[in-house]
Amino acid sequence: MRLTIFQLENWREIGATLARNKTRTFLTAFGIFWGTAMLAMLLGGAEGFKGIMSRNFAGLATNMGGMGSNPRSISYMGFNKGSYWTLTTEDVDDIRRIAPAIEYSSAINGRSVTGVYSVRSKAAQAMGIEPEYGKIMLPVIYEGRFINARDYSETRKVVVLGRNIASELFGNESPIGKRLSLNGVYFTCIGVAGQVGEASIMGRIDDNYIIPGSTLRQAFNQGNSVGFFIYTAPAGHKPDENEAAIRRFLSGRHAIHPADSQAFWFMDLSEMFDQINSIFMGIAILAGFVGAGSLLAGVIGVGNIMWIVVKERTHEFGIRRAIGATPADITVQVLSESVLLTLVAGTAGVCFATIVLGIVDYFTTDPMLGKAGFEISFGLALAIVATFFVLGSAAGTLPAIKAMRIKPIEALRDK
Amino acid sequence: MIITLRNVNKTYPGVVPLHVLKDINLEIARGELVSIMGASGSGKSTLLNILGILDNYDSGEYRLDGVEIRNLSENRAAELRNRMIGFVFQSFNLIGYKNALENVALPLYYQGMSRRKRNALAMEQLERLGLADRATHLPGELSGGQKQRVAIARAIVTKPSIILADEPTGALDSHTSKEVMEIFRQLNAEGMTIVIVTHDPGVGAATNRIIRIVDGEIVNQDA
Repeated sequence: MRLTIFQLENWREIGATLARNKTRTFLTAFGIFWGTAMLAMLLGGAEGFKGIMSRNFAGLATNMGGMGSNPRSISYMGFNKGSYWTLTTEDVDDIRRIAPAIEYSSAINGRSVTGVYSVRSKAAQAMGIEPEYGKIMLPVIYEGRFINARDYSETRKVVVLGRNIASELFGNESPIGKRLSLNGVYFTCIGVAGQVGEASIMGRIDDNYIIPGSTLRQAFNQGNSVGFFIYTAPAGHKPDENEAAIRRFLSGRHAIHPADSQAFWFMDLSEMFDQINSIFMGIAILAGFVGAGSLLAGVIGVGNIMWIVVKERTHEFGIRRAIGATPADITVQVLSESVLLTLVAGTAGVCFATIVLGIVDYFTTDPMLGKAGFEISFGLALAIVATFFVLGSAAGTLPAIKAMRIKPIEALRDK
Repeated sequence: MIITLRNVNKTYPGVVPLHVLKDINLEIARGELVSIMGASGSGKSTLLNILGILDNYDSGEYRLDGVEIRNLSENRAAELRNRMIGFVFQSFNLIGYKNALENVALPLYYQGMSRRKRNALAMEQLERLGLADRATHLPGELSGGQKQRVAIARAIVTKPSIILADEPTGALDSHTSKEVMEIFRQLNAEGMTIVIVTHDPGVGAATNRIIRIVDGEIVNQDA
């Protein structure tokens, strides 16, 4: 064989042929371009959609649960239906002892307070927490530190400011070490914190005064009562595994009828995450399905057009054969054309999709939550082009073999 | 002898097999200008296709410039067509999307010659045939006579042993036909061996020898 796909002359000839047959070249290239662009946009779009949904839950343990008290719904042991009972610090300590699947946990107390610093004031929620709270809600520390075990055990009057509160009360000034009053009780600011996602309990960290739970109960006269209790399950367990044990235990202590299921509230975030994960799964399957479809359509398009090209050019191939082209020359020519088209149009398609995804990503970027991630990895982009390259060449092979089989004398007769 | 045929037979298979060439014996010497004449269906085109290695024959022997043409691979046949034979067709058979120069240079492309070299050689041939100013024109922008001259330039650009022309004037008016025949005569005067298949007596008369073929047999070979 005198001409191979590695020779410059061959590529010049291919380039000239493609350039002289603009409509045909454009139609073929557009099919591949659109196929790769669709596939890349679908995969990148699914990724971005997943990013949008999951960034709302960023900074939240996914296997988190919580519980608290509700009024009794059944009269029992002298307590009327509708009477309140209160969760206590002793309850929380005992729940930690008896519950089968708790890894980290924190009692939470809440109270509305007005914080005052210098001439500025800000009314917001004060949230009393235990140190392990930071392993359940995963706060972002912008400055200073978070509440630690000694703050809690020594009932220190320290506060971590939510980021929005810090900027309202202190402006550009650093609040660390400053003293501010919450309803007249003075606290030392030890840190500024916020959260990444949108999902929260008792409002976003950014809009809360965070203080040790022990301090909150003492400073604001809440005795040993607890607002509610949050916890995470260890790996391999689900938060709701604790529910039965907690119910049984607390029913006995607080005179709650054993059948009174409404006297408690429980939540299990992991169930919600399971649902969201199956939605993601569905989206991924759909994107894969549609993507594979567009891939297939693109490849069949290439094969189809190459087939028509071969039929249309039979006479030309006959002329080429008569003046000395070998069957291999013709095959190489047809294949090279489809290979070149696939490569160029496929790369262009992926580039186009990247630009579109980039624009979408730009407009969905949230200043607080960051990028949604409408993007495809470089590896994936290469894989898409490579897949089209391989399948496109394969689709061009059949027509190329057909072109090779045509006898020159028959091809010359073909008009 | 540049062409020697000994008892060449060709039959097209079918329900009724068609014996198109019957024991053809033919010799053409180097530098001859020969025409093969016959009615349509007489087998003259089949004979030309065999001479041009575009078709196979069933029995006998065909030697082209000393090379035995028998059961060649497609690759070998392509190479011999490229180097030894220049074709001129009735319908010109130029590639429509290539300009005159590229059409002429195409056989050299299949020899693996560099672009610059083959374009220079092709330009030389176009100049020789008075088409230098038409080099960048597409075939669709040329007259019939110009197209046929481009085709002739393409046939001779590889300096082949023989030119095979199949009704080269069939699509041309009488005036242009004369011009084309004049070109063939001139090429022949320069030493080129030319075989023209035609049913036009005027074309035949312009050649030095007429081979008449009737029903697949050569009936006379006027010297």
